Amino acid sequence: METHAFAIFVLLTIVLIGLVAIRPSLMTARGGKILAFIAFFIMPIVATVFGASIHLDHSKSTQFCLSCHPMEPYGKSLYVDDPTYIPASHFQNNRIPRNHACFTCHTNYTLFGDLHAKLRGLRHVYVYYFKEIPPKLALYEPYRNRECLHCHANARSFEEKSPHTEMKPQLFSNEVSCLTCHSTIHNVEHLDTVKIWKGAGK
Amino acid sequence: MSETTSRLHRKFKVAASLLIIGLLTEAVTLYWSKPTSFLVFIGVGGFLVVSGIVIYLLAIVNE
Repeated sequence: METHAFAIFVLLTIVLIGLVAIRPSLMTARGGKILAFIAFFIMPIVATVFGASIHLDHSKSTQFCLSCHPMEPYGKSLYVDDPTYIPASHFQNNRIPRNHACFTCHTNYTLFGDLHAKLRGLRHVYVYYFKEIPPKLALYEPYRNRECLHCHANARSFEEKSPHTEMKPQLFSNEVSCLTCHSTIHNVEHLDTVKIWKGAGK
Repeated sequence: MSETTSRLHRKFKVAASLLIIGLLTEAVTLYWSKPTSFLVFIGVGGFLVVSGIVIYLLAIVNE
């Protein structure tokens, strides 16, 4: 929807630019000069900022992340038919938005978390095209509990379940990782041996 | 039409061409959901748009 709005805005800008360029005599009057300034300066800047924000929004989509070949197994792991697979159970049960599945868990929930994620994304594009992709992909730093607790903290299912209650201080201070117990993550090395869920239109 | 005016109009036409090509490039990349599309958006579209704006501004400043 916003892409179409952008296209219409660009079209309007192009028409105005074309009008001024074809009839430069318009710019002899004060009104024409203002029109030219809007068409040649204001509207292109607005369009570029608007477009960049749409691009950033697109880059949060699951489809976008999985469009890179090395990410394909990770996308497939979301369909593993086994509830102990943490990403798969979150994805299949709509605990995270399916169209923003990667981004929801792999962004940092901090002030500049989105920006960090995007800068890393740019680095990934650079490595994809100009460097050798490592055979085993790994996170830059250990997965922080903050990303899990962003949703699970204060949830009844988390708060009332042992050993969460007893270990709350250690979990909140990141002393003990959630992944210590919930250790089955994407496990892409074993995808050939697991059953794959055929739901969700796949 | 004086030579100065004609030169000014020519600069507007160059700026307009750069802006139109840049904006069209930006619009096309939005229908292409791949990581490289953002690079094309900024690297090609953004560069052309900024170049067009700079030429336009220089033209009106020198006017």
